[in-house]
Amino acid sequence: MSAEPHIAFEGVSKRFADGTLALDEVTFHIPRGQVCALVGPSGSGKSTLLRAVNGLTELTGGTVRVDGTPVDAAHLPQIRRKVGMVHQHYGLVDRASVAENMIAGAIAEIATWRALLGLYPAAYRAKACTLLAEVGLSPEHPTRRVSELSGGQRQRVGIARALMLDPEVLLADEPVASLDPRVSVEVLDLMRREAQARGASVLCSLHQVDLARRFADRIVALRAGRLMFDGPAAAFDDAAALAIYGSATEAVR
Amino acid sequence: MSLARDPAAAPVSAWRFPRALRPRVLIGWGLLVVALLASAPSVEAGRMLRMTGEAIAALATGGKSQVVDGLGAIGRQMIPLQISERREVSRIEGFDRGRLPLFSRIEVVDARTERLDPETFQMRTVVERTEYLVEPVGYLVRVGVKLWETLMIAFWGTLLAVLMSAPLAFLSARNLTPHVWVYGAARAVVSLLRAVPELVSALFLVVAYGFGPVAGVLALALHGAGFLGKFYAEDVEAADPKPQEALAATGANRLKVLRFAILPQVLPQYIGYTLYVLDRNFRMATVVGLVGAGGIGQELKGRFDMYNYHHVGTILVAMFAAVFLIDQVSARLRRAYF
Repeated sequence: MSAEPHIAFEGVSKRFADGTLALDEVTFHIPRGQVCALVGPSGSGKSTLLRAVNGLTELTGGTVRVDGTPVDAAHLPQIRRKVGMVHQHYGLVDRASVAENMIAGAIAEIATWRALLGLYPAAYRAKACTLLAEVGLSPEHPTRRVSELSGGQRQRVGIARALMLDPEVLLADEPVASLDPRVSVEVLDLMRREAQARGASVLCSLHQVDLARRFADRIVALRAGRLMFDGPAAAFDDAAALAIYGSATEAVR
Repeated sequence: MSLARDPAAAPVSAWRFPRALRPRVLIGWGLLVVALLASAPSVEAGRMLRMTGEAIAALATGGKSQVVDGLGAIGRQMIPLQISERREVSRIEGFDRGRLPLFSRIEVVDARTERLDPETFQMRTVVERTEYLVEPVGYLVRVGVKLWETLMIAFWGTLLAVLMSAPLAFLSARNLTPHVWVYGAARAVVSLLRAVPELVSALFLVVAYGFGPVAGVLALALHGAGFLGKFYAEDVEAADPKPQEALAATGANRLKVLRFAILPQVLPQYIGYTLYVLDRNFRMATVVGLVGAGGIGQELKGRFDMYNYHHVGTILVAMFAAVFLIDQVSARLRRAYF
């Protein structure tokens, strides 16, 4: 454990080509091992902020550092190897098998010729099976196509894939947006458990405030690209939620 | 919830169900009729209708028709179909009397001609003996061999088309191309390949490579590459971007994204297009043969030009049988695997 923040957002700004200001000088730090939820209404900049950590969004101002390394073109391969990501619509290839999708999580570490010929290293094949077992799938699942799985099972595969390279940081962009409430709780609990077992820091954007309170150690709330709330999850009460979402019906989900 | 109407809403009498046959539709139909009438003279639609009508009338009542007479004359000459092959022995290179081909026999024909003897100035009967090698199913076998050659031309043409189009497709897909200029150049090449019909490129390729299947294979491959390149590229562009982004986020390079996020999505459509091109190439392989690019088409053209209509008949029947057979096989394959 170092005193240095694990993920540091320093005056992060993003203006889209059409002139919209998605992020406006956002500054906060995430210490190693913390589970941090990003909340805010649609269009508040949650996804944009999250995607700045592994360079899927190019910033127009400020810097993001992971472990002191700035996220820029030169360091991107290095950063992406230690940042795993769980996606909103799973980001899996429906027609491919679960096994192929799992290998995709470690693809950066596999030589291109091996990847193209399908000669995946034994260590990664074994690792894929171990992780799938860990997230609660069965031995018959690796050969199944993703299209045959339920939504909850797909996101379990999505989480397992993100863990293939033992990430130090786990990003999750609305990971439960397409899941029903019961499965959402299961998936978030799983993600928290897996991350803490590895000592990984988590940054997860969520739409539902009640889930964020249950799941996270800390809540950071955005509105129109500005940081509006930053504190322990328990401190994010209904009044705070109302201030962020602007109406009670939006906040209580 | 009650099903009763909201009393504040407009009364039912104020509602109108829209007419299907509204003025815009009628104007559309009118414009179509005008377009047909205006364009008909350029394709001699009148003559087409008149001659076809005459032909139908002739078939029904037994009158005269240029179409029926012309087709009938050729059709009658095709029957009986040519099955055997008869060749003059003296014209066969390296003919070995001891080793005749299977089922074949030698036929001897003595031709008697009256000729003036230049010394005695008297007419004399001269016997000219000609030997023929007769193979009872020889021509059928020859057509079979040529059909097989046609099939192989189609197969190799398709194979080369796939190999050429794959890199073109990835360079000309907007989401994979390394640079806008590469994209533009690849698109231009694909369009050019597709714009030149097989028959036209075959004409030139026969000049370059000589008569035979090489020209046919290359002609089919070039056009096929243009066709597949366009369709492969459009599928790559339409592929779901979410898995691609997920792959990029793990640090995968372009080639890995292609293999793991795009290929699995587009593969079924690719197989479909490729089978279509194979099917089409078999039919086009006979057509490019007409300009000397090998296969059954080349044989057909040769026989047609020599007025050997019995042979032409055999070729047409064999071609029909082959296309029918291929349709059956490919339908079975599709049912089994898709």
